[in-house]
Amino acid sequence: MAITFSDAAKKNMEVKGLKEDDIKKIIESAGTDRIFNGERFIAKKVIGDLTVYADYSGKDGNITVNGAYCHKLSIRDIVLTGEDSGWKYCKNNKPVMKGHTDLEYMGAVRSGPSLVEPESGESWFEEYLANGALTTAEGLFEQKRA
Amino acid sequence: MGYEELFPTNDLNGWHANAAKRFASPFVDNYHDRIDVDPIMLSNAAVHCGFTIRDFYEKPELGIHCVGYIAELFDLLPVTHWFFSLPWVRELGMTLVYKDTLPPIPTGPIYEPTAEGIENLKPIEKEDLLKGSTIPLFYNLYDYVQKNLPHTLVPISYGFDLVGASAELIGVENFIMWTFTEPDLAHKLVDTFVETSINGADALSDKYGMAMLIVGSVLANNDIFADEQVEEYGAKKMGHYVDQCFRKGAGPQIFYHLCGNHETSYKVFRNNLVWSPFTVIHVGYKGRIDFPSELLKQEFQDVATCMGSVDTKLMINPNPKAVYERSKECLLAGRDAKKGFILGNTCETPPYTIPGNLLAMTRAARDFGTYGTW
Repeated sequence: MAITFSDAAKKNMEVKGLKEDDIKKIIESAGTDRIFNGERFIAKKVIGDLTVYADYSGKDGNITVNGAYCHKLSIRDIVLTGEDSGWKYCKNNKPVMKGHTDLEYMGAVRSGPSLVEPESGESWFEEYLANGALTTAEGLFEQKRA
Repeated sequence: MGYEELFPTNDLNGWHANAAKRFASPFVDNYHDRIDVDPIMLSNAAVHCGFTIRDFYEKPELGIHCVGYIAELFDLLPVTHWFFSLPWVRELGMTLVYKDTLPPIPTGPIYEPTAEGIENLKPIEKEDLLKGSTIPLFYNLYDYVQKNLPHTLVPISYGFDLVGASAELIGVENFIMWTFTEPDLAHKLVDTFVETSINGADALSDKYGMAMLIVGSVLANNDIFADEQVEEYGAKKMGHYVDQCFRKGAGPQIFYHLCGNHETSYKVFRNNLVWSPFTVIHVGYKGRIDFPSELLKQEFQDVATCMGSVDTKLMINPNPKAVYERSKECLLAGRDAKKGFILGNTCETPPYTIPGNLLAMTRAARDFGTYGTW
């Protein structure tokens, strides 16, 4: 499997301190534990205290990583399930919905907007949210819990 | 002389340090002191400091300094805010005038209530907003706070009343009629204002790295509309506004203000709004009574910090005991909300709120504002 990284993915990996090897492992070991929308896939894996995501596309063994990102907040239960997001979960071929999922960090549990598949109980967070609101939220938790 | 020279510094190590820890507590499950009190104080802060309502709105830096300063007197939130209900409309062509006893109000509708009348209405792009009046106003305001009241700074971008502000463009009564007769045009109006507000949040978060979002459903309430219309024009547009603002880097703090009567329409918001880790939800009235904290908790405690409502009418009634008793009811019903509780009024506390009534709210919070069993 040939995996290449987009400039945007490389830039964010540098900011977040993510390693290419870790992202490759997420993609190679995902199996059906990933969601897809057309030719785009998102797979995630908990590495240490981080939930790390690979957003990638490609076929015939040639993969391009469009985005690689992470959050420190731990994913807990689905809180709300909304309309169809256009994504599907490869493991059970069920539609992935827009929703909200509880996140836990430093002992506090709060909700965030997510992609959810209610039957499996799985949730995913998109890159704009992980790099924006969730990163700011982590900073506020760290500051306010101190 | 700058406005900063009119005010002594807050007690930073005493009052402010404690208030800041208390303010954070409902959001991070680190309970401290008591439940906070937020009477949504705006021009009342200026009045307390000897200025006028007009001063508050005409001189935003003075207004926000009054808010930051006077919060210490009543042991309120340790953060500042300054706003009025019609951001972004000047960029869309409206003229606002200042009044002695009111926030800025429009001189009147600017579009004919016809399809041709709003044919050229388009969202204002971020680059054009930077040259307008709202963004420079808030940049100047937050620059002032950063320099003179940095301990109180929370950059806020306002969508505020997405429906009400849009309605002003053609006249509120015409807009209400359009929701029945010309829904496509009514949607175009609201969507134009929403997209403009999203671009405004983008500009604010560009400069400050984040932007708390304040957005409400004010005109879209049960005194005017059925639940279906509140959902269509209020809740769904608010959800879209926050979703798009988040995609542009704003958030993560959100304050949802469901103003006026949401007797049954409160039910249309839970599934349509975006809930972030730092969200506060506030509902004004259920029919003619201040919205019950028990019901607020039941509907929203899984997704947000709940802000209870003490009727603003009580705040100008010379009867602090009545405020104290109502605050007590509110606190006892709401204080064990899963994601925290704040004691508030049904809307902005009136400009001529009686100081004894504000003290009554804080006193009630001290007496009854612990987090349930804690």
